[in-house]
Amino acid sequence: MSAPFRRRRDGRFTIRIDPSVRAVLVSMSEQLSPMVDPEEPMTRRLFPPAYPGQDLAQAEQDYRSLVDTALINHHRQACAVLARTAHDDTLTGAELEAWLSAIGSMRLVLGTRLDVSEDMEAPDPEDPGAPEYALYELLGQLQFLIIEVLAAELPDEGRPEGAL
Amino acid sequence: MRGPGRLRVRARQVETAPVEAEQPDLDESPTTDRPWLVIVWNDPINLMSFVTFVFQKLFGYSKEKATKLMLDVHHKGRAVVSSGTRERAELDVYRLHEHGLWATMEQST
Repeated sequence: MSAPFRRRRDGRFTIRIDPSVRAVLVSMSEQLSPMVDPEEPMTRRLFPPAYPGQDLAQAEQDYRSLVDTALINHHRQACAVLARTAHDDTLTGAELEAWLSAIGSMRLVLGTRLDVSEDMEAPDPEDPGAPEYALYELLGQLQFLIIEVLAAELPDEGRPEGAL
Repeated sequence: MRGPGRLRVRARQVETAPVEAEQPDLDESPTTDRPWLVIVWNDPINLMSFVTFVFQKLFGYSKEKATKLMLDVHHKGRAVVSSGTRERAELDVYRLHEHGLWATMEQST
């Protein structure tokens, strides 16, 4: 069986994942996108503070007013790309990065809701949180596989300091 | 990329327009000489390979350096991943936030 995510010679990426998984990604993207907002408790994790101390509350407020709209747009755009391309056989690098971003956001939202810890074990199948945890695990596996192919593109020795 | 760097420049132009010329420029006060540190904190959700990937991608760090920083975050709870002017640090924090990492900034003491 070939790898679920693989880079082709022409730079595009081949995607071989189950149609049911693709359908889950579409559904999750469509659910997450309209929720993304710093005022929404479910997606609060996507908006960490830059200046956490009380003494820099004004700086934090300035930071929020500068970036929140851009952050909301970034996450919604990633969800839109994932929903639009979820059933495609091949993706560009930019599209696969959008998948990684959207799936990462879904994990952050789900993981925060499940209150996961690093050494957490899967809940009992009878546990009411079990389906959501299974979804969290599935997203983690997808994220891991996508990182593997995208990280292979990065030079081990790094780039000159300051390059974007 | 749409980042706060560009936005901040615009905001500053607006903010500084009505300020009187005699007022001291904040950027010349000694406290602004100390660099700002960008800190990434450990979180139980982001995968270790993802954190390493983000450090390589955003900062151009070698795989070795990115992995060491990721392990510092993992074992010590936090790591300084970059430093510089306040604007530069804010841009780095923003890019880390785009990637879902828990990043904050503080001025070095």
